[in-house]
Amino acid sequence: MADTETTTGTPADGGNGAGNGKKATRERTPFAESAFWRSIFRSGVPRTRAARMMGVLNSVFLHLHPVRLPKHAVKVKYTWCMGGLSFFLFLVLTITGILLMFYYRPTVEAAYGDIIDLGSQVPLGIMREIHRWGAHLMVITVWLHMFRVFMTGSYKPPREFNWMIGVILLVLTMFLSFSGYLLPWDQLAIWAVTVGANMARAAPLLGHEGPGAALLSIGDVNFIHAGADAKFALLGGRFLGGATLLRFYVLHCIGVPFIVMIFMIVHFWRIRKDGGISGPT
Amino acid sequence: MKATINWLADPAISFTLIILVFFLVFPITDRLEKISKRLKIDLLWTNTGGLIALGVLVLFFVWGLTDENFRLIVTKPDNVPIVGLIFLVGFFTWLSMKQARENDNRMGQGGQPLEASDKSKVLVWPDLIYIEFICLILATVLLFAWSIFVKAPLEEPANPTLSPNPSKAPWYFLGLQEMLVYYDPWLAGIVLPTLIMVGLVAIPYMDTGDRGTGFYSYSGRKRAISTFMFGFLVLWTFLIIVGTFLRGPNWNFFGPFEVWDANKRVVLNNVNLSEYVYVFLLETGLPRGWLIREIWGILLVVGYFAVLPGLLAKTVFRNLYERWGTVRYSTFIVLLLMGMALPIKMYMRWLFNLKYIVSIPEFFLNI
Amino acid sequence: MSDDTQPTPISRRGFINWLTAAWVAFIAIVAGLLTGTVRFLFPNVLFEPPQSFRAGPPEDYTVGEVSTRFKNEFGVWIVRSTTEIYVLSTVCTHLGCTPNWLGGEQKFKCPCHGSGFRISGVNFEGPAPRPLERFKVTLADDGQLLIDKTKKFQFEKGEWSNPESFLAV
Repeated sequence: MADTETTTGTPADGGNGAGNGKKATRERTPFAESAFWRSIFRSGVPRTRAARMMGVLNSVFLHLHPVRLPKHAVKVKYTWCMGGLSFFLFLVLTITGILLMFYYRPTVEAAYGDIIDLGSQVPLGIMREIHRWGAHLMVITVWLHMFRVFMTGSYKPPREFNWMIGVILLVLTMFLSFSGYLLPWDQLAIWAVTVGANMARAAPLLGHEGPGAALLSIGDVNFIHAGADAKFALLGGRFLGGATLLRFYVLHCIGVPFIVMIFMIVHFWRIRKDGGISGPT
Repeated sequence: MKATINWLADPAISFTLIILVFFLVFPITDRLEKISKRLKIDLLWTNTGGLIALGVLVLFFVWGLTDENFRLIVTKPDNVPIVGLIFLVGFFTWLSMKQARENDNRMGQGGQPLEASDKSKVLVWPDLIYIEFICLILATVLLFAWSIFVKAPLEEPANPTLSPNPSKAPWYFLGLQEMLVYYDPWLAGIVLPTLIMVGLVAIPYMDTGDRGTGFYSYSGRKRAISTFMFGFLVLWTFLIIVGTFLRGPNWNFFGPFEVWDANKRVVLNNVNLSEYVYVFLLETGLPRGWLIREIWGILLVVGYFAVLPGLLAKTVFRNLYERWGTVRYSTFIVLLLMGMALPIKMYMRWLFNLKYIVSIPEFFLNI
Repeated sequence: MSDDTQPTPISRRGFINWLTAAWVAFIAIVAGLLTGTVRFLFPNVLFEPPQSFRAGPPEDYTVGEVSTRFKNEFGVWIVRSTTEIYVLSTVCTHLGCTPNWLGGEQKFKCPCHGSGFRISGVNFEGPAPRPLERFKVTLADDGQLLIDKTKKFQFEKGEWSNPESFLAV
């Protein structure tokens, strides 16, 4: 704060602060030029072309972007903004999800009641709605993002690998949404997951009712049975129950988001490294 | 009118119609493209065409909402995203195809695509940041409005002994659940989804070369786009719509204006291929051993995946095979045949009531 | 190259042998850790409801009827025919939904994907690939039915002829 008076480069204000020198000096210094501001943002107000470029370069968040882009690449008509919206929704879901975790207990006894309380006993009772509809919206935006990337041929070299990362993120998005589906512990939830888990039971080789599971055995000892197969790993037991709820809760809140974030980092990094947004050569 | 639409919506009929229309709208060969041009289907990809299509769709929904059964199924909270999906997918298909056709016309006259016409660059701050900012605000407003007006669904507390009728997966998996009608869980739930992922990952390694990167275009990439659209619009989105709106109690089919009657009787006596061969054709009764019993089905499946690719490489796909070489061609053809296996099995079910081509419950292996 | 005053330099072959051994050990340890991590997901003790229970004397059940008495608690139907009592699992063999017994049509009908099973448990319509499973049923010392859900019998494996899969009455 002591630096305020020694700040240089501010436009001289004449003598309208005469008689109250200290106050006058403060008024003369625009806040965006102050040392405090500069300590946070590094570059000043982006009024000039150079300052704007530096502003993007010097911000950890903005420098996801390049400094300059070809004109067609900023048009919504070209990008549909779907990739950005997917990322934005991911952030919204993270924040609302963390808030919901304050009130939700993943146990068979408490879960359903906590969900009801979230709607009636908590101020701003639409947090769960925002989370749920945001999740649906994110599935749609991710699909549309993939659709746009396909239609502009943006998966072609050198972006093949990033397309692959994108497919993985698409699958993870749907799994995130699916794992969240169980948490309200209502009829919709357990039967959707029952059907899903029984598909895992039928997985070739890894499910105890899948083709080829009997091949993974030595003599009479089966390695794949109801107590050790893909369905069991998913449910945390032979039946859908408390262990399943806890397992899905952990996957939904920590496990999958963690993996998604890693893949997102690679995805964003590779966009830049593969030459930025696609464009005609 | 409503009866006609109910009848048309039956998967066997609507699926056939959609396939026929699809290949005129998204022609996969030059000849189909000429027919499509002659039928003036291109007009769909203009502002007027788009507005008319949108108007028809909106009118259909508004008119449909006057019907109680239609309203019940469309306004169910968890189905709202799919109504949104129909409009969004429709709009963005139109938007991309409109730009593709404009670029095709420009390039047809020796010009450059619109994206390449202005090579100048703009600064990210402020040009892009502002657009992103506005997008975020609009998305937030939409999300809040949606959350305020539609409550998130919450049904009865979980009861493991009482299956709701019908029991549905989340909507984005309903395409897969619809496949379960035709294929066993290990195929519909595991193998096919895995192959969808593998197929998507494989796209850039099949469709190589950077021709057509970075701008909307159809004519230059019609095979790639048509194949992708067939998967995305017909096999994925359409099946989701069927699974959401047209499947009712007991997973029976119900037209959009039909009452969901849990007691609707539908004959589901499906017959295995082995029974067709031994019981109806040879009239000997089923053999005891599974190998002899299922040998015809096994031969059919092996033939489909082992013999057919070779035949196709010599005929329809000769150029492709010569251009792509064995590895790339084999990957492509196996994925394509797997993808086509779904509609093939659907038609076999509709036409012959065929249940399984190969049925070996001894090993949980049914195809 | 060799110099006797220096420590013996490792030979080329020796180096490769050591390298191989090191890599094999490394891969073995990583594989072991991975197996352990996967195994971590499969607990040794499960807190699940008991799998065997007593279901009253055979006289509780009338001939030709499907008893839904233990459907909610234990997930079984107990059926008495003219000659035997058998216990059917309430888990549909398609995707694990719970079918309903429709007395009027004399069939079990699954609400999820429309599979239908006869009173014997044999599938006859819809996508179910095989009949319902039967559980082990015996007569306990006190004259009650003793049902053990850990032992199941599948028709397509010819197990329904196993004397433990039914109780002759």
